Amino acid sequence: MTDGTDTTSAARGTAASSGPPERYFLSEADLRSLVGDLLGAGTEVIAPLATDVCQSPSAVAASACTLPGAAAVDIDYRPLAGADELDLSRGLPQLSLKEHFLPEHEALCRWKQKGTTVEVEDVPVEFAPRVVLAAKPCDSAALAVVDQVMNWDYQDELWNGRRAATTIINLACPVIDESCFCTAVGTAPDDTKGADGLLTPVDGGYVLEVTTDKGRAFAAAHAARLSDDVPADTRGRQAADERAAARARVAANLEIDAASVRDWIGTHFEDPLLASIAIRCNGCGACTSVCPTCHCFDIIDEEEGVGRGTRRRCWDTCQAPTFTLHASGHNPRDDQNVRYRQRINHKYSIYPLKFGEVLCTGCGRCTRVCHAGQDIVEILQAIDIAARRPGEAAAEPAPDAPEPVTS
Amino acid sequence: MTEAAPVYTGVDDLRRIARELLEAGDVRVIIGYENARVGARPVFVTDPADADKLIFDTRCVHNLVTYLNPRRDHVAELGKIGLVVKGCDAKAVAGLLRESQLKRDDVVLIGVRCGGVLEASELPAALALTPENVAPRCYGCDNREPTLTDHLVGEPQPEPPRPVMTIDERVAALDGLPAEERWAFWTEQFSKCVRCYACRQVCPLCVCEQCIVEKTQPQWIEPSAHPRGNVSWNVTRALHLAGRCVDCGECERFCPVGIPLSLVNRKLQQIVAERYDYKVSDDPENVAPIGDYRLDDQQEFIK
Amino acid sequence: MSETHDDFEPRITAFVCNWCTYTGADLAGTSRLHMASNVRIIRLPCTGRIDPLFIVKAFERGADGVIVSGCHPADCHYTSGNYHARRRFAVFHDIMQFIGVDPRRMTFSWVSASEGAKWKDVVDEAVRSVRELGPFEAYRALAPDAGAASPTGEAKPAPAATTEVTP
Repeated sequence: MTDGTDTTSAARGTAASSGPPERYFLSEADLRSLVGDLLGAGTEVIAPLATDVCQSPSAVAASACTLPGAAAVDIDYRPLAGADELDLSRGLPQLSLKEHFLPEHEALCRWKQKGTTVEVEDVPVEFAPRVVLAAKPCDSAALAVVDQVMNWDYQDELWNGRRAATTIINLACPVIDESCFCTAVGTAPDDTKGADGLLTPVDGGYVLEVTTDKGRAFAAAHAARLSDDVPADTRGRQAADERAAARARVAANLEIDAASVRDWIGTHFEDPLLASIAIRCNGCGACTSVCPTCHCFDIIDEEEGVGRGTRRRCWDTCQAPTFTLHASGHNPRDDQNVRYRQRINHKYSIYPLKFGEVLCTGCGRCTRVCHAGQDIVEILQAIDIAARRPGEAAAEPAPDAPEPVTS
Repeated sequence: MTEAAPVYTGVDDLRRIARELLEAGDVRVIIGYENARVGARPVFVTDPADADKLIFDTRCVHNLVTYLNPRRDHVAELGKIGLVVKGCDAKAVAGLLRESQLKRDDVVLIGVRCGGVLEASELPAALALTPENVAPRCYGCDNREPTLTDHLVGEPQPEPPRPVMTIDERVAALDGLPAEERWAFWTEQFSKCVRCYACRQVCPLCVCEQCIVEKTQPQWIEPSAHPRGNVSWNVTRALHLAGRCVDCGECERFCPVGIPLSLVNRKLQQIVAERYDYKVSDDPENVAPIGDYRLDDQQEFIK
Repeated sequence: MSETHDDFEPRITAFVCNWCTYTGADLAGTSRLHMASNVRIIRLPCTGRIDPLFIVKAFERGADGVIVSGCHPADCHYTSGNYHARRRFAVFHDIMQFIGVDPRRMTFSWVSASEGAKWKDVVDEAVRSVRELGPFEAYRALAPDAGAASPTGEAKPAPAATTEVTP
């Protein structure tokens, strides 16, 4: 791992792989037929889908794969209604897979007052099996990263329930543009972290590699659409070359020593570099909504009638002015500089210290969606350079607790 | 299609003025535009030697007046600000002055004569404006030479090209639909809303210390991003901007899910123009329509 | 496009000012004028106090139509509250129409303290037109699904666990 952090924390939700990955070949037609089989059996299939709902040009441009021949299509992860909706252009879906595991809003329980008692209705925490196909490796890896906090001091049954019910097959990414940096933060454009298998484009179709028990079960269930014909010298080689080329492309975008970045941030809380980075930020929170690893939520009780209502959780953002507003009225993070610093701190220092994972998978959406010009590649580069300056490196790694917050 | 825009001749003057202001200590920071890795982005220049970072071209879409928003303490702390403003931006400054959110003496305004901007700022080169790439809101701009300025740079620019479809045409198309279809369109759009409040955060005129949506006792607007809460939020946002919105387009540009807020904003302008003969301008003495009244205001909708 | 909903009783919420319309409605009552009984009145000091959010909230909570009524221009108890309301509601009316709400669901009126008969007419007309439009299902349909666990991912049927909690 480039960052040298301990990544042995058990991944939740997908069984650890045992034995070498199994490989298959399927043509694009086979793949669409496989989707048809799933849909025909009533299984929900979530995949990148071209949408024609009005989108801003910069949003569409931002998701386009910059490799020649790729179309600028507005893509999103949605449940498919038919196999022909599956978009295989390898562009970047606007919003990550996050919304399918941590919905933008979801009911936690409902209440109804009856006289002097209150009836509380819980929500189900078991979900029907479903499949995510052609996921971006950065989006699946993010799920594994967030698994840590979702199983830390509280087991989030809704998150875990959805994770357990979902089989995820990635589609190897060609790397979107210069804002991608997955290899700098511990994953790769062909990784299967958080997922159960990987499709790699080759001549005539795809090589499918399954890496977990769930993935193997998936392959077994769809054996009719898969062939064993993956000769090492042709398709096998082609898949390997494609994957290596993508890894080289993204590594060229950014290389950092994540451990020293982590330690520098932890020991340079008041450094003017962090203030200079933050000043441009408007606090719009768009970065947190498109980020696959951001998971903060608010819980509110929404009264929907006299004596009845729903307790919901919904996405929140640390960039909101009231994110840390106390009941007393005091707000320890009451300006944007401090909130932006917190974002960098949490993702690249606090979370790695706590869970051994960077809270980022290098998808680059935050940079592409930020219209104030915040560029996370530039920011990490600047911190990495600062951290490598002689005398800057922390004498020893920061202790296993975040720095106390000074207002 | 990929033709570069002619070089903006005012850039040298802009840099010179910025340098002089900083050297004289008249301002502590110049907020303008610079080249980002891709595209243009806001820059905060405090050192006169950095004045050459300042640019102005068709990618300079941002409304920098958002940094004058009274909520931005960390910017105000830098000291007196010198701000680069296009015509639409100057209207936002007027809005803040009108509502006593800014003192005229706290800011030095460097106006730029503008011929329109691109729809997206994140382009490697400043392209010439075409019907396909121009920001639709620029068409018909009445303030290409801002008047609320302390300095003014650049040569008078040609009118921006007519976009493939103007915002007025899109609004008219919606107006022409039966109500159920308009409802279907807008509920689909508002259903995309993830309640990130980027639209509010970036708007230079959203200045409330506590936004109505953050009021929890009682909770007037449901915070969850379900369609019902989203309609309430988006309608409220629109109503609170009626007669104040300067059509800078930042809300739509920043929206991560692409809700066409420019259509709502243009409708608001049409309403106050038609009913109250009001146009937002960069004259701070021009009283805003909501909060004002006439004895003979239109009331055809009242029984 | 309206269908008759013969057995549908519209639920109308009326936001009225204390000094004129509320008193006018009271007069309609004491005069024993017969009128539709579908209206729930909410009394406010002045139409200038009425935030358009109240109307949005009424629709959210199940109103099929709303009435907003106050003093005639020049008669406002607080001098100019109704002038401000007039501009505010003009914009609100136009924006709601733009997003596709049928304006016949929103009735705005000036009803003075002596206009009991006018109040009766306003109420009857509002109820009639909303009855013709039908229930405001379109607004109710915006609600997140009651009963479904989450917007994404089908939930396996699980026994509804209800816990009685005595506060």
